[in-house]
Amino acid sequence: MISLNHVSKTYETPAGKFAALKDIDLEIRTGEFVGVVGKSGSGKSTLLNMVAGIDRPSTGSVAVAGTEIHALSENKLAAWRGRNVGFVFQFFQLLPTLTAAENVMLPMDFSKTIPLRERRTRAVALLDRVGVERQADKLPATLSGGEQQRVAIARALANEPQLVLADEPTGNLDSVTAASILDLFRDMANRGTTVVIATHEADIARVIDRVIEISDGTIPHG
Amino acid sequence: MTTLWRKAIRDFWQERARTALVVLAIALGISAFAAVLSSYAILTRELDQGYLATNPASAVLRVDSIDNDLVKAILQNPEVSDAEPRRTISGQIKAGPVQWRNLILFVVEDYGNIRVSRLVPERGAWPPATGEILIERDAFQVAKANIGDAVTVKTANGVEQPLVISGSVHDVGQAQARMENIVYGYINLATLVQLGEEPRFDQLNILVAQNRFDEDHIRRVADDVEQLIKSRGHEVRRVEIPRPGKHPHSDLTGILLLAMSSFGLFVLVLSGILVINLLTAMMASQVRQIGVMKAIGGTRGQVAGIYLGQALFLGIAAVIVSIPLGIVGSRALCRYMAMFLNFDINSFAVPIWVYLLVALVGVVAPMIAAAYPVWRGTATPVRVALSDFGLSQANFGANVFDRMLSRIGGTFSLIAFAIRNSFRRRARLVLTLLTLAAGGLFFLSALNIRASMVNTLDRMFAARKFDLSVFFANPYEFEKIQKAIGDTAGVTRAEGWFASEASLGERRFTVLALPPDTQLMEFEIIEGRKLTPQDTDAIVINNALAGREPKMRVGETVVLRIGLEESTWRVVGVAREAFSPGAVGYIPMSFMEKRQPGMVNSLRLALDNTDPDSISAVKAELDRNLEEQGVRAHGSSTKAEARFGFDQHMLMIYVFLIVMSVIVGGVGGLGLMTTMSLNVLERRREMGVMRALGATPRIVWLMIVAEGVVIGVLSWTIAALLAWPISKAIGDSFVRVLFRSGLDFTFEPLGLVIWMVVSIGLSAVASFLPAWRASRITVREALAYE
Repeated sequence: MISLNHVSKTYETPAGKFAALKDIDLEIRTGEFVGVVGKSGSGKSTLLNMVAGIDRPSTGSVAVAGTEIHALSENKLAAWRGRNVGFVFQFFQLLPTLTAAENVMLPMDFSKTIPLRERRTRAVALLDRVGVERQADKLPATLSGGEQQRVAIARALANEPQLVLADEPTGNLDSVTAASILDLFRDMANRGTTVVIATHEADIARVIDRVIEISDGTIPHG
Repeated sequence: MTTLWRKAIRDFWQERARTALVVLAIALGISAFAAVLSSYAILTRELDQGYLATNPASAVLRVDSIDNDLVKAILQNPEVSDAEPRRTISGQIKAGPVQWRNLILFVVEDYGNIRVSRLVPERGAWPPATGEILIERDAFQVAKANIGDAVTVKTANGVEQPLVISGSVHDVGQAQARMENIVYGYINLATLVQLGEEPRFDQLNILVAQNRFDEDHIRRVADDVEQLIKSRGHEVRRVEIPRPGKHPHSDLTGILLLAMSSFGLFVLVLSGILVINLLTAMMASQVRQIGVMKAIGGTRGQVAGIYLGQALFLGIAAVIVSIPLGIVGSRALCRYMAMFLNFDINSFAVPIWVYLLVALVGVVAPMIAAAYPVWRGTATPVRVALSDFGLSQANFGANVFDRMLSRIGGTFSLIAFAIRNSFRRRARLVLTLLTLAAGGLFFLSALNIRASMVNTLDRMFAARKFDLSVFFANPYEFEKIQKAIGDTAGVTRAEGWFASEASLGERRFTVLALPPDTQLMEFEIIEGRKLTPQDTDAIVINNALAGREPKMRVGETVVLRIGLEESTWRVVGVAREAFSPGAVGYIPMSFMEKRQPGMVNSLRLALDNTDPDSISAVKAELDRNLEEQGVRAHGSSTKAEARFGFDQHMLMIYVFLIVMSVIVGGVGGLGLMTTMSLNVLERRREMGVMRALGATPRIVWLMIVAEGVVIGVLSWTIAALLAWPISKAIGDSFVRVLFRSGLDFTFEPLGLVIWMVVSIGLSAVASFLPAWRASRITVREALAYE
């Protein structure tokens, strides 16, 4: 499903060059639930960004579901991402002026893979699946953190992606809520979606299939 | 509706106060544009239609005399659909006991059957009975009389005769009486006889049968008619062909209105600057949202579409507001212009193309303005956008200018802070200053142009040392006239001049023969020299003539036809007569002396007292004394009257510029308000910090207002620096269009003071509301704000 070949990423900073990823080789199979674990600044977000096509490798290649995504243009990448990848952020990142249901409909409107009339029904169904269908018509500001992250997960599933990526999805939640969010990801993986979560919390081990530890931009036991 | 549109609408709704400001500013621009554009459409249409409805003459032939047989013979020509004889005769009219006023009398053969150049009866009697006179509706003010009044009328050769004003008519094709300072009167042939004139017609108005709007065709038909008249032993003095189908003022009105509509577009451009500011700020505050949208599959085009959609809403909202406003404005403008041009508007209907153009411009302009900020705002890569930590990371202090600024203000920290803050968003500051300074520029220009015009007029009239001119219908012996002047009290100097008409090829102009030692005309020579007593064949021309006739350059020799003979002249100088629209050449009196010894046909007088009453008294006494000598004056004008028309034109330009500066200043104020509210929005957290450090709401409030005032003062400085060249350029171009001349430029220093007060006041008012809102932010709110 995901294949990284000799991927390195170097950033130019005022303080000099900074190597965020160093010669990473990584394979993730379809339907696998993987946790990328590492400390802050270890390179886990960069790794996730590479897989999502949000960032490009300095050298090496990234293939996701058979597409060599490092070769796509920004616009093609965005369109590809909309159809194939669901993204969940640490700070939820719901658009403040759209309701929960509308936030879920937004990727459908971007990608246009789902017919216009079915979008709302599908959005509400997805909200139902993550347990917040009653909040469908509320604005993000009126929702609790846990509710917001559930909406964000529903949004990630909008276009039925083969791959869901989550960057610290529980980092801003209390432990009870965090556990229920992780269960949602587990459920997703059980239904065949590939899920990759970046986290610095170790208790993720209870739900995932495989842990990939990353430190200083390398994967010791890759 | 997809969520993309919903987001566009709701984001705007969230910022509705600011959005409303920007919509208002755009609406101001579009309204001005719409008002002027529809006025242009309405006025040119109505002017020409109203004119066409009178069946205006295709050509007017001045003939020695016209009888029925001649008219019948002309009507034999199938190309001529109608021919109607008239008589036009100049004279004077007096409503009260003293003041004679210039009069043009029109004699119509049959008022019941006017077919060409129709008159529209307005009030009172129609047709005028014998012993009655109708007055053009706009001329009542000049005549200072009403329907039913008894007036005294005299023509050049006739007797003084009392007539009764029995009604008013509207003569659409006639130049406005008030501006010309002439009374138009309408009588029948029998009344003309009462006035002591011969009962004959000398003017033939003809109408061509086909191709009424083809000037060449009309000219051919008029030539044929001229030949026919000549073949019957008559003399044709002149053939006039007015522009077919066009009211005489149609072009000038069109030019004026188009100039005004370009101003509307200018305001629209200024309001576009507000759109740029608003969207730049919006894009900056939504960097993270843009990143999220791109991360979940939005392409740059789709995301840009949301924000361009917002610009589209701005435009649509502004157009919706502007169209009714524009219509109201256009009606006011049309009414004013109709009154000014003396015609009636039958329909205020605005043609569809005006709506379409206004809507198109109104919708497209904000989108064009938004294009750059949107395109730039959506360029941020997803990774960078997602890691954006919010705003107020503007890197102040990075360059020399900032460090220089950091030394301004000294120990008074509030001012120092205000100055530095106003420079934080450089691009926004520049754009805001631009709109505010534009308002100031228009205002200062209005004042400067007014001062310059007064100055130019003063100089022009200073060259004319005479206070009163008297014109005679025929040449008279100057000796007799001098006797009459000798009997009149209050005259300090009198000169007899001789006015006649010269033609150079087809085109005519006035030539004035002056005494060699004239002291009543002091030329402002801009090229060559003035006339000297030794000159015999030298001519000095005014700038209007010089501009019209490229052949008449200083040093060149031209052949002119003066009267019936041709003579050779050397152009020796060009005199500047700034606002004088007429082409005039000045020649030595010796030329006339040889042909009509001792005769003059006009008089220039310098008087002891130059107030209107004294002048009237002198005029009345002089008239009587001249009559005693058998000399009949047929017209006169005083300096004050001559200046009146200029003052009217000037007032129009002045009012226009002031209105412009109010509108542009309004847009500038709205711009500043938008800027200040964006500045406050972006610095909420900073204000929270200041509050936490102990700043009272009052200090926060004061700080923001001070920042606004700093911007106001800066804009004033820019306006003050640019006012000189810009107002000179605007003034020159206006005067060139209206008078074909330049301005004697003067700078009005009072304008700087007034605008200083206005710009400080305006910026204080504009920042008042944002400052008040900023001062109400609590520490907790401000620090929690993201």
